[in-house]
Amino acid sequence: MSTWSVARWLQLIQHWQLRKRCLHSSAMVSPWRFLSFLGFAAAALAKSSTGNSVLVVLDPGSSRDNFSRFFDGLEARGYELTFRTPKDAHPAVIEHDHPEYSHVILFAPESKTYSSDITPQSLVTLLSKNTNLLIAVSPKATPLTSLAAEFSLILPPPGTPLVSHFPERDTPATVIPVDVSPSNPVLSGSLPPVWFSGVPFAFNSNPHIVPILNAPPQSFAADSDADSGADAVVEAADKGGEGLWAGSSLGLVAGFQTLGGGRATWVGGVDLFSDEYAQKPTLDGNKPGNEQFAADVAAWTFQETGVLRVDGSTHHHVNETTPRDRYTINDRVTYTLRVSKYNPTSAEWEPYSGIDGMQLEFTMLDPHIRTALQPTPGVPGEYSLTFRVPDRHGVFKFNVDYKRKGWSYLQSTTVVPVVPPRHDEYPRFLSPAWPYYAGAISTSAAFLAFCALWLAGDSAEPKKSKSTKSD
Amino acid sequence: MPLAYSLPTDLSPATVVNASSLLRIVALALISGAAIASRLFAVINFESVIHEFDPWFNYRATRVLASEGFYEFWNWFDPTAWYPLGRVVGGTIYPGLMATSGVIYSILHGLNLPVDIRNICVMLAPGFSALTAWSTYMFTKEMKDESAGLLAAAFIGIVPGYISRSVAGSYDNEAIAIFLLMFTFFLWIKALKTGSAFFGTLAALFYFYMVAAWGGYAFITNMIPLHAFTLILMGRFSSRLYVAYSSWYAIGTLASMQVPFVGFQPVRTSEHMAALGVFGLLQIIAFAELVRAHVSSKQFQRLLYASVIGMGILGGLAIVGLTYKGWIAPWTGRFYSLWDTGYAKKYIPIIASVSEHQPTAWPSFFMDLQLLIFVFPAGVILCFRELRDEHVFVIIYAVVASYFAGVMVRLMLTLTPCVCVCAAVAFSSVLDTYINPVEPDAVEEEAETAGDGAVSASSTAVSTSSGSATKKGKKAAPAAQPGPLGGLVSTVSAVVSTKKGEKSRGIFGGDTRLAVLLNALGMLLFFVLHCTYVTSSAYSSPSVVLASTNPDGSQHIIDDFREAYYWLRQNTPETAVVMSWWDYGYQIAGMADRPTLVDNNTWNNTHIATVGKAMSSSEEVAYPILRKHDVDYVLVIFGGLLGYSGDDINKFLWMVRIAQGVWPDEIQEPNYFTAKGEYKVDDGASNTMKNSLMYKMSYYRFAELFGGNQAVDRVRGQQMPKIGPTLDYLDEAFTSENWIVRIYQVKKEDPLGRDLRTANAFEQGKRRKRSKPVARRRAIV
Amino acid sequence: MLLPLLALLFAPLCLAASFQTDHAKLVQLAASSNGVIRLDEHSYKLLTNPKRTWSASVQFTALDKKRRCGPCKDFDPNWNAVAKAWSTVPAAERDNHFFGTVDFDHAMSIFQQLGLQSAPVVQVLPAVEGPRRPASGRSNPIALDFSGGFDAAPLAEQLSRHTPVPIPYKAPIDYSRIASGLFVLLSFVAALRFISPILKSRWTWAAITIITSLIMTSGFMFVRIRGMPYNGPNGQWIAGGYQTQFGQEVHVIAMIYGTLAGGFLMLTLVVPNQLSPSRQRMQIYLWTGVIFVMYSVLVSIFKEKNRGYPFRLLL
Repeated sequence: MSTWSVARWLQLIQHWQLRKRCLHSSAMVSPWRFLSFLGFAAAALAKSSTGNSVLVVLDPGSSRDNFSRFFDGLEARGYELTFRTPKDAHPAVIEHDHPEYSHVILFAPESKTYSSDITPQSLVTLLSKNTNLLIAVSPKATPLTSLAAEFSLILPPPGTPLVSHFPERDTPATVIPVDVSPSNPVLSGSLPPVWFSGVPFAFNSNPHIVPILNAPPQSFAADSDADSGADAVVEAADKGGEGLWAGSSLGLVAGFQTLGGGRATWVGGVDLFSDEYAQKPTLDGNKPGNEQFAADVAAWTFQETGVLRVDGSTHHHVNETTPRDRYTINDRVTYTLRVSKYNPTSAEWEPYSGIDGMQLEFTMLDPHIRTALQPTPGVPGEYSLTFRVPDRHGVFKFNVDYKRKGWSYLQSTTVVPVVPPRHDEYPRFLSPAWPYYAGAISTSAAFLAFCALWLAGDSAEPKKSKSTKSD
Repeated sequence: MPLAYSLPTDLSPATVVNASSLLRIVALALISGAAIASRLFAVINFESVIHEFDPWFNYRATRVLASEGFYEFWNWFDPTAWYPLGRVVGGTIYPGLMATSGVIYSILHGLNLPVDIRNICVMLAPGFSALTAWSTYMFTKEMKDESAGLLAAAFIGIVPGYISRSVAGSYDNEAIAIFLLMFTFFLWIKALKTGSAFFGTLAALFYFYMVAAWGGYAFITNMIPLHAFTLILMGRFSSRLYVAYSSWYAIGTLASMQVPFVGFQPVRTSEHMAALGVFGLLQIIAFAELVRAHVSSKQFQRLLYASVIGMGILGGLAIVGLTYKGWIAPWTGRFYSLWDTGYAKKYIPIIASVSEHQPTAWPSFFMDLQLLIFVFPAGVILCFRELRDEHVFVIIYAVVASYFAGVMVRLMLTLTPCVCVCAAVAFSSVLDTYINPVEPDAVEEEAETAGDGAVSASSTAVSTSSGSATKKGKKAAPAAQPGPLGGLVSTVSAVVSTKKGEKSRGIFGGDTRLAVLLNALGMLLFFVLHCTYVTSSAYSSPSVVLASTNPDGSQHIIDDFREAYYWLRQNTPETAVVMSWWDYGYQIAGMADRPTLVDNNTWNNTHIATVGKAMSSSEEVAYPILRKHDVDYVLVIFGGLLGYSGDDINKFLWMVRIAQGVWPDEIQEPNYFTAKGEYKVDDGASNTMKNSLMYKMSYYRFAELFGGNQAVDRVRGQQMPKIGPTLDYLDEAFTSENWIVRIYQVKKEDPLGRDLRTANAFEQGKRRKRSKPVARRRAIV
Repeated sequence: MLLPLLALLFAPLCLAASFQTDHAKLVQLAASSNGVIRLDEHSYKLLTNPKRTWSASVQFTALDKKRRCGPCKDFDPNWNAVAKAWSTVPAAERDNHFFGTVDFDHAMSIFQQLGLQSAPVVQVLPAVEGPRRPASGRSNPIALDFSGGFDAAPLAEQLSRHTPVPIPYKAPIDYSRIASGLFVLLSFVAALRFISPILKSRWTWAAITIITSLIMTSGFMFVRIRGMPYNGPNGQWIAGGYQTQFGQEVHVIAMIYGTLAGGFLMLTLVVPNQLSPSRQRMQIYLWTGVIFVMYSVLVSIFKEKNRGYPFRLLL
């Protein structure tokens, strides 16, 4: 018992020291990796990289049974779900500015009022504190509608769900089978079409948005599912009142990766996760992709998949091993970055060499060097580069900034001064300087000769010279 | 020969000599004591603290030198200054000051006296002022005699013009530079008089020290050649001049080139060309003299002179040509602005913006030099009376220095020693004349009236032009009447009186003597009072700590600067970059120990202009600049609450101008004035002004302070609008007790990638207007 | 006189005139009045056409005597000189940039509509359309600043940033000055023979030295650099305040200094040569008195400047 605890303790200490070194070596590690490590150390069993406590906010109308497959799936993957309705104050999402849960699922698209702890502002706070959100909206105008705008998602005017009359089918026009694009970084492989009903949203230009599911080309948002609606939409678009709410440019499910590392996913309709849709056969009679889709979306949102982190970065003179606190101009310097990826199955951070197109910038005000940072062959998870420091002294930064859709962002900045050579690092002897050497030598020689002659000479001419001097 | 009052007759000459030398030593000691003591007001009134701005950098550099040793100091690259450019400190400073205190430090520690380096730095200036007094004494002794020397020493010891730069705590280059200046001049005079290469070399060595200590060495570099040149023109070329100048120039130049910051300037820049030219001219003339001594043909000599002059002119032309070719750098801006006084304001606003580069109004002359300023012309005339070589030097010095002092306030410093010397000469000759007890016998020789006194004076001066005072002394001694003090007296009076008119010159009666002497002493007393008053009131406040007087007359210390700097030091990470206007760069680096963007060593105009642009443009424009330079905190000085007029809003226009110099179409000065062309900060202020970062940071939440009453800016005397400016990209981090220093933190980017303005609006629960999707394709109907 | 008429003449045409003719008219106007168009309300409208493909720089001034605008008078010749320099560039470039002058008394309304309170003001109107449209696309006028002074050279330099080609302005060579300089020099050389004894006399040099240092130490350079007036309004000759002074103070202070120094010299050099005791005594008391009085005058003047000064003599 005691031995075990001691062993565990030592292990923890080692972790800490490692951690500290990493932090030290990279001055501006973005905080979330630090937190994520804490989460990791605390609950090593969790599937998620940031913890396993989930708060589910359900509408009073819909009970958890409607989504049993989804929620059971989550619990099966080791999450602890807590349920509450929007109105009741306990358990609070955030208390004393400290998030109580690692993940929050807001499946309350209908409810217009929330208890005081759930406001758009508090949700953004949660997100910035690295709590992940899974938010479902509906054609109704709710506080969340205004929140969506902050994520540069534009919801259509209230009461205009997505409508599509194709393909021909017996379901109402608002219940739509949507094809899933196979090449989505969030989803696992290619899925069969998923049933969807709800609102679409248009995207403003925001690099952090990760489109997961887009509307079918022939669908559009309208307040009635009569065919005339289509014309109404077009006219509206032409009048310039509303934009054109139609086509595959609209999103149905969109992820959002914040700079801090927290993830939020917006879903146009909560039914996407429901058991009903999960069982509803597709037009060709197969099982729809809903269940898998929901699982994938949850996995991405709760930072199971597509999670990377910088374990640390070092730099050293090319034929040394320990980092210097400063480099001289034109030194050859090696920079090394260690990246690892979270593996949900083993709940471990594993070194990851799969990144390509990562770039290193050596920056003072502007990048003086920008070049590809290749994985070191043989060493998993290590990316290194050797380059010549520019011929310019100043305070430089090793800058790595890797942002790809669907992956968590990698950022590492290491500050290092680059100094001019020391007084004794310049060449001592210059061949062009020969004239000066010759001058110095000849002068001193001549002086010696003069002294010798003058001492040897008799005392006649000094007097003479003095007499000439004196007047 | 009658005496106005009787002298003791029972003293042996030896006693007199010993007594006088003892008195001299005592007097010098007392003078040094007074000089040091009068510079300690700053420490007594406040505390032992480094003053102002530049000293803070010198102090910091000295700490590095003391802790890391000289080589580390020499190679010191300071990454925290001029972030992110960094500053190669070793190559961009005059290390003399730091080296001096470093040596003192190691000596004291060698003696097991564990003195804190700060105290050495604080006390360095007073200590050297004593040395300055001594060197002035030596210098003046060469001009006239010991008594004049003592007077000069006393003057320079307490004159405010010098105290202003050398009170305890003002740890600046000038602190030691003035001593070096005077001592180099003394050695030069000595070398010139004795014609010894030894003194020439000494002069060169101290010149080197001066070069290592102060940029003002250019003054020496041009004064000595000017002197030599004038002597040549006066036909006073002599082998002594040749030896003195050659030894000084050769060794001095080579030595000065060893200072990294100077490098090859002595052969590459125009400031040094005068010295080089005179050096060449001297060689030519010496050669001519030599030839003349041996060849005796009249025509040949003519030819020789012609050729000499020709060569001289050719040399001058060559230098000019080289300058045009660019081999020799033309005058640097700071130097050039001394001649063309409008130059700086037009082309180098940074120089023009410094307060101590402004021209000098007469009150500051009187404030700094009091009676000396009008006594010294008399001294100059006396120098003209017997025109020995050294007097020529003083005369040139007087003219040049008084011009420079008129152009720039800070150059008052170079004028001061010369003024002290001349005034001392004048004063001591008055005292000599009226203390000398010898009364002339009232024979009616109307033949010799005042007029021929001058003539005879001139003749003697010419005859004894190359002669020295001692010779005069010897001549005078036998002429004096028997009596032990006679020798002394007559040597004294010898200088005043000429050999011819000697027995017939003098003052009758005792009352006259009494009147003049009392008057003179009264003036001296007044001088002392004045100096004490000025020193204690004007020059002893370390601008780091401000003092005000409460209604009840007691002193109230305003310590906002240090409060804020220590806040930075204790509440921000080591690497937090602080942006402020360059005036405060050294203080932030010294007291807060944080990286700064720009500081008082204004070597990079563009970087300063960048800061100016950030300060004078709106938040949206400034934010990218701040992020690009990794700025974490912005520090502004705001005097509006306390009425502290030296604040950033008053300096703001300079920031605008400097920024405009680099980005003429983004920043334009007229936009910061009202339509009427006034500089206002109240409601009437122009929009550009109101949106500028500096304005916002200065007046952020200022109106709230007045709790609904009318907010008033006490510096500008204007009424501020009820609704103050708002900040979206900065957070107020700290504001000092009297609001003099305000520190703002630069916000990080928004996690959701919004711009911080909208993020703020969202935080305050403002509804944003619904946006529309962009129609990617036209609808076909 | 003629120009308003000209403008009136054009007025009816211009109202109907097409765009090209506007430009043509401007060119013609510019040509007719060597480079500077004297603008009135109408021609100003013409110049600031919202669709203009040309740029223009306009001087707003008030040259009329009764406006008493000193700067305007200083600035106007420089402005014309620069405009003249511009009119020498080839027509292809020249006609893309116009110089205009708006005089307050001819076009008050323009001043009002622009809300201009001061003169002179120079505005640069960038081209709104066409190839010379600035990249920033700003079309509102850019005001020049006179921080560089009213001289023509900096003005041309500033304007050249907005003209199609830099303005070929060269400062005119001041022949008269050169000539006079040469004359003085030559006459000096010629007279050298006769005045050489004067030059050789040390006392001339002494006088020069003393006068120079006296003038310098009484704040001459300050007055010169700051361009202080000789004396203030309502004839006061002491500028209140420690950091400033009027031109007249230079004279007064220099004189006081001179007198004091003179007193000392008399006591030192002249008095001892006086051989009749009574007269000598007289002199001594006289000069002592002079010194004392002058000194106290000086101190009192200084007290004027620096109120806080605690000491005083006599008065």
